[in-house]
Amino acid sequence: MKSVVKGFKPSKLAIAAVLLLLPALFSAIGFSYGVLVSCFASLYIIAVSGLDIDFGYCGQISMGHAAFFAIGAYGSVMLHKYLQLPILATMLIASVLATIIGAVIAYPASKLVFHFLSLATIAFGEIVYTLLLNSPGGVTGNAVGLFTDSINLFGFKINTYSRFYYFGLVCVGIFLLAKHLMVNSRVGRAWLAIRENSYAANGMGINVTKYKVMAFAVSAFYTGFAGAMYAHLVRYIGPDTFTQKQSVMFVTMMLFGGTGSILGPFTGAVLVLMITESLRAFEQYQMLIYGFLLLMVVVALPGGIYGETKRLIGRIAAKRKGGKAHAS
Amino acid sequence: MLLEINNLCLSFGGLKATNDVTMHMEEGKINGIIGPNGAGKTTFFNLISGVYKPDSGNILFDGKRIDGLKPFEINQAGIARTYQVINLFKKMSVLDNVMVGMHPRLTSKFFASLVHTKAEREEEARAREKAYEWLDFVGLKDYALEQAGALSYGQQRLLEIVRGLASDPKLILLDEPAAGMNSKEKEELNLLLRKILQKGVTLLIVEHDMKLMMNVSDKIFVLNYGKKLAEGTPQEIQANPEVIAAYLGGDD
Amino acid sequence: MLLQVLVSGFVIGCVYGLIALGYSLIYKASGMMNFAQGDVLTLGAFLGYTFYTLFGLPYYVALALTVLVAFVFGLFMEKFIIRKLISKNVMAIYVVLATIAVSYILQNTIQAIWSTKMLNYPQVFPVASVSIFGVSVQSQSIFCILVSFLCMAGLQVFMKYTRFGTAMRASAMNAKAAQACGINTSLSTGITWAIAAGMAALAGILLGPIYGVFIMLGSTIGRKGFAGAIMGGYGNLYGAILGGVLLGLIETLTASYLSSTYKDMIAYALLLIFLFVKPTGIFNERAITE
Repeated sequence: MKSVVKGFKPSKLAIAAVLLLLPALFSAIGFSYGVLVSCFASLYIIAVSGLDIDFGYCGQISMGHAAFFAIGAYGSVMLHKYLQLPILATMLIASVLATIIGAVIAYPASKLVFHFLSLATIAFGEIVYTLLLNSPGGVTGNAVGLFTDSINLFGFKINTYSRFYYFGLVCVGIFLLAKHLMVNSRVGRAWLAIRENSYAANGMGINVTKYKVMAFAVSAFYTGFAGAMYAHLVRYIGPDTFTQKQSVMFVTMMLFGGTGSILGPFTGAVLVLMITESLRAFEQYQMLIYGFLLLMVVVALPGGIYGETKRLIGRIAAKRKGGKAHAS
Repeated sequence: MLLEINNLCLSFGGLKATNDVTMHMEEGKINGIIGPNGAGKTTFFNLISGVYKPDSGNILFDGKRIDGLKPFEINQAGIARTYQVINLFKKMSVLDNVMVGMHPRLTSKFFASLVHTKAEREEEARAREKAYEWLDFVGLKDYALEQAGALSYGQQRLLEIVRGLASDPKLILLDEPAAGMNSKEKEELNLLLRKILQKGVTLLIVEHDMKLMMNVSDKIFVLNYGKKLAEGTPQEIQANPEVIAAYLGGDD
Repeated sequence: MLLQVLVSGFVIGCVYGLIALGYSLIYKASGMMNFAQGDVLTLGAFLGYTFYTLFGLPYYVALALTVLVAFVFGLFMEKFIIRKLISKNVMAIYVVLATIAVSYILQNTIQAIWSTKMLNYPQVFPVASVSIFGVSVQSQSIFCILVSFLCMAGLQVFMKYTRFGTAMRASAMNAKAAQACGINTSLSTGITWAIAAGMAALAGILLGPIYGVFIMLGSTIGRKGFAGAIMGGYGNLYGAILGGVLLGLIETLTASYLSSTYKDMIAYALLLIFLFVKPTGIFNERAITE
């Protein structure tokens, strides 16, 4: 906690102010749609941060994370619909459910190397999708989907986009703080070691399987909760949201911003969301442009925008340092 | 006996990589393993550290069987190792590499790490201090925050050793620690090995550099074609006609 | 009834086989995974349709042309995208993403050129169906099976007995050594991707007349094709064929006799089972676990 409070600079105050006043700023410029987009941004940030824990820190790719997004969403909606549980509780329970399922899948998956892990996660994603579309007894509403309510915080209904925005902001704060704490600890070091060299990590007394499962399960919790947020923001869910394309979007957002950092997924989620929103006008060519963008990111910016920016700043700072040394 | 290896056998297909090897190593000594190329030395290390499971025979560490255990379990039991090829976590900082080495001795589990309990923060602070001490031990303290991959080759080798030491092992396996070092670095290594022994860590070293081995080892085992050819003090080994015949004429 | 189910199973099995062959070829030659294969299949179906209906070319000519176009596409994709990425030494995930990007671009381009409607091939063969053991079987199905097997057999002959095929196998096994022997490894890799694309397009134009032609034709087939490749042993060419055909048969039989709602899940369930339990596949192709 101390490390968070220490860096209290004016620029950070300014950013905090903007974040807190965002809905007001949007309506001031007559762009209230921006509030909804910001709500989406908050849940995508959480979803992608989770994926980053799994991949950016522990080195396990997942091309099927939409499955957890779905489990969180459908779990929360169905628990509320069939068991009448309060929504915040259902969101948490559904996230825990996603975590458990994630842990179960992660155990055999931890033995697979990269390409085959990606196939396994794709297969898992497809299976979940098929189950959503053809659920036993139609509990998921199959192709029609399910409608649901907004979150009810002990009487305070989060039924406007502005209210959801602040809810989302708090959630982002909590989840990113948790991520920061996790990665700067013994557990985080173990994850990084596994990503760098799992063979050596094993030799260093790290139970590689246990930590891999842990990373996967934690990321499932994050993405699951984000899915639940999505469900109660839009108040309608259908299987079409939880396809392979969604999984690819998560990976894109993560790589676009930069892996292995707190702000990387943040940047990636926000930017990709902004891009896809502005492409909505070109409905027909949306996939085409998206594909080209993806290609561009892959070819030109392998570190992601945040990652590359950090590197650039680092290089400039190093040059300056070197310059000073020369001068003296 | 700290480490007892009894009738250890391992075959790859038809090749007997380790052929009925028996070695007993005392605590508090520097033990060396020498042998011509292809004698099966690294395979032997892999058997001890759990990378391979022996076909038959057993390995007893401090009286308990460790053959067949997973590498991380063997590390937790008190055996550390370095590798022939440098296996550092190159993108992590030098300090973090050492702190990863401490992993089995730290106790903070998932939830403590998640919320940074007081106990966790104190343990991390102590660990950080200890890590700096370890770096000081090998003279790498000034490089603590650099990327491990940025160090020179010799420094990386030192870091590997100290990373292994960080888990407070009773026994450390060093796989060709002098590889690629110049004579000055080898002298410093010689001193470091003795310093490690003084800290109460038993050493088992595989090396090609004869001068270094004869100089630093208390006891030497000779492997050839997967079999133990001889064992004894450096003087005994140097006088052993079979060993001389096997290869002692050529190296270094 | 059973015969018809078996024939359908074989038809889709051959298609899976062609796709899986492409996957295993590419993996063997460059260690990569190509997620665009399915959409190349779709492209093949559409191209074939255009050549056959709009240009009025004979079916065989349309077939050959389609495969040729796909072949060139595969060459280009390898040269301008894949090789660029490899030379930049990026993480493997980026190459995978690049192929996914290509698949999205392909999908959208096909949509832009041909529209989202479903297109139907006019009848290709003068005799729509033949009677085998008293059961009516589509001629197109028989053609599909025959041509697929011819193609697979041809590939095996090519790989084993021609100089170029041997060069490709050498490059796949050890690129540096192959280069030292004077083999143009980048050309070999390019040709490998090209052949994989050609086979995918072939599968498309063979399947088109049976299933109809629509944008998503290849996507699911492409994804499920991985199951065929894994089942046979990823990287093993015989395995890819066997795995693909097996997959097609199991899928069709299960759908007909057990339940058709979860038909799509079968391929993925098989994929997971094999990955978790027997990742080396039926032919025990070198370990893919850590």
